[in-house]
Amino acid sequence: MIAAFSPFLALRYLLTRRINLLSVLGVMFAVWAILLVDSVFAGFVSTIRTDVQNSAPELLVTDLPHDTGYAKLRDALQAERELCAATAPRLRHHGMYEPLRRPPGAELSAISSQIDFDHTENGFGILVGIDPVREANISGLASWVARASEEFAVRGLELPRSRVLDSPDAKQRAKLLVAPELEWHARKRVGLPVESSVENHTSSWPGVLLGWRRFRRSQALLEGDALDVVVASFPGLGEGAALHTHPMRMAFAGWFATGHRMFDEASMLVPIETLRTLLGHDISDSDSIDLVTDIAVKLQPGLSAAARAAAKTRLQAVVQGLLPTGSAPCLVLDWEEQNEVFLSAVTHEQGMMQFVLFVVMLVAAFVIYATLHMMVTQKIKDIGILAALGGSPRGIGLVFLIGGLVVAVVGTALGIGTGVASAVWLNDANEWFFANWQVELFPRRLFDLREVPCHLEPSWIAKVGIGAIVLAVVVAFIPSRKAARMNPVTALAHE
Amino acid sequence: MTTPVLQATAVHKHYRLGKREIPVLRGIDLSVAAGETVALLGASGAGKSTLLHVLGLLDPPSSGEVHYDGRRVDALPIGQRAALRHAQVGFVFQFYHLIPELTALQNVLLARMMATSVFAYWGQRKQARQKAIAMLEQVGLGDRLHHRPTELSGGERQRVAIARALLAEPKVVLADEPTGNLDSTTARGVVDLMFSIQQQRGLAFLLVTHDERLAQRCHRVVRMQDGVVVR
Ligand SMILES: Nc1ncnc2c1ncn2[C@@H]1O[C@H](COP(=O)(O)OP(=O)(O)OP(=O)(O)O)[C@@H](O)[C@H]1O
Ligand SMILES: [Mg+2]
Repeated sequence: MIAAFSPFLALRYLLTRRINLLSVLGVMFAVWAILLVDSVFAGFVSTIRTDVQNSAPELLVTDLPHDTGYAKLRDALQAERELCAATAPRLRHHGMYEPLRRPPGAELSAISSQIDFDHTENGFGILVGIDPVREANISGLASWVARASEEFAVRGLELPRSRVLDSPDAKQRAKLLVAPELEWHARKRVGLPVESSVENHTSSWPGVLLGWRRFRRSQALLEGDALDVVVASFPGLGEGAALHTHPMRMAFAGWFATGHRMFDEASMLVPIETLRTLLGHDISDSDSIDLVTDIAVKLQPGLSAAARAAAKTRLQAVVQGLLPTGSAPCLVLDWEEQNEVFLSAVTHEQGMMQFVLFVVMLVAAFVIYATLHMMVTQKIKDIGILAALGGSPRGIGLVFLIGGLVVAVVGTALGIGTGVASAVWLNDANEWFFANWQVELFPRRLFDLREVPCHLEPSWIAKVGIGAIVLAVVVAFIPSRKAARMNPVTALAHE
Repeated sequence: MTTPVLQATAVHKHYRLGKREIPVLRGIDLSVAAGETVALLGASGAGKSTLLHVLGLLDPPSSGEVHYDGRRVDALPIGQRAALRHAQVGFVFQFYHLIPELTALQNVLLARMMATSVFAYWGQRKQARQKAIAMLEQVGLGDRLHHRPTELSGGERQRVAIARALLAEPKVVLADEPTGNLDSTTARGVVDLMFSIQQQRGLAFLLVTHDERLAQRCHRVVRMQDGVVVR
């Protein structure tokens, strides 16, 4: 039973003491901060995850031995009809590119003055050899290309979408060839010999799609511009192995954007046959192989999580069976495993953030404790009076416990209200502050996102709310117990 | 002879100060019959207030027994003692002991909230209020219902305290120098009020006082000295 005097006095005491407002505000602020910061973080994480997932094939067969050919593995994988819907070859290798002649006026862009991606300035990066025709079945290659122009548009740059994937001719698409007129004009711009008229020209430079984050140096590139691409390799092993460099003239074929920051910074997509040629496996040589470093796999749609996990094991066994005996085990990774280090870093950071916010909550709880403790000290005489009137120790303790509970409930309710409201209107508020005071609360440029992502889980609201109230009750328990245990006679004699 | 409403037998009480034991009550036998008024006189430090606290179950005796209506009550669990105190005893103190945040009416009503659950009280809050107002009217404060203690005179405060002590209809009122802080005219008014209510309701009264004239108005006078009843 809760005696009527406990809540009655609790409310009276709270309402006549402004200091309790401080406790309410403390809880409110803590709850607000936890909800808002975490929802931004959760939004950020889920955006990152979406983007990372967008950049990765469903499964990637990787860690293949040197000189692995594609066809045999492809046939074996695609024989697993219930599991495997399509495959595409991937060939990764370090490389560099340099525009044949830097176009005049190609100054450094100030679009992103805060971000300094050093390694993007020297044209050094990872060449990812793809088969654009097969790749189309596996990943969002076409959408990557479309997305690049969107990313630029958001930043006030108008860069047209590359059209290398639009060619009706599969052979042209496979080489990422730019339209003949683009190449013809590009040749002319740098003073290379050209046909007398555009109509007689056929494109021959294989195309390079650059990750859009490389724009710092190269944004002034025009589609079709000549790029000299160089890779270096050690053909053969052991005695006599020497570094060989292989240059090739290619054409800048446009930008792509997956959203996965590192991928978009470091990668250049090139036709896989071109890269094979550079690495000494030209298709016309008799002893060449259709070299791959990875195989991207698309699974059949509608597989359960368990079936997908089983598929990984099965496909790994299929591939491993075809590798030379004694090869190190190859890996079959889903999109999360492909980016494990990055994703776990992000998750870890979210955990750290939650911990910091929990400390904010502890501070709020301490304020509740302090004000209640003060209240008990000020109210010693009242405690004696209540005892004399027949109040039980439990009822007397409850006066203060209920006080703490009310503070926590009101503060939590206000915190949830403001937290949800800020999460909903975050981007509006951000824009309004920027428009009126040039203040950016959440600098989007720093995060390099189109808008501040915000993701508020109802279950998280419930957890935070209940947590705040439980914490407040726990700390309020200490002063309440002190009140309940007080000797009534000493309390009455208190001055 | 009928059972006394309140009875103390061989009550001892000592306080411990460090290693020393300070005896305050040293074997008190006292009984108060229903409707009886008893004055308790004695020098300062004789142990009168301590006795009142023991009788009102605010402080357990070191030894000896306290009986309400013939039932031993001093050894009951603390919650039951609180409930009995509420039902049986009304306290009136020298320094009124009102709660400063509450109005006169709320201070009186508080006595009604001690042993009633929130929900039960909610159901009867109107009657409780009526009764508290009637009580305050009876002590002559019908027009001071919403004054806070700081907005009342000493005499008025003591009347509020009396109304509060009587609201739960106790059988015994334990009053510790109720007029000790009032001028003689005001004191007389308060005393008259107390005796009239006492007669009306047939209350038992145990009244600690230093005022011989006031003591003479009681049925019986008990004198204490150094923790024992002397006469
Ligand atoms: N908590 C305590 N600890 C130690 N000694 C105490 C305590 N309470 C009271 N005493 C002592 O008990 C004795 C009796 O105190 P009590 O208050 O009962 O006297 P009293 O008769 O009411 O005096 P007065 O007329 O001045 O009110 C005093 O000597 C006092 O010092
Ligand atoms: Mg005294």
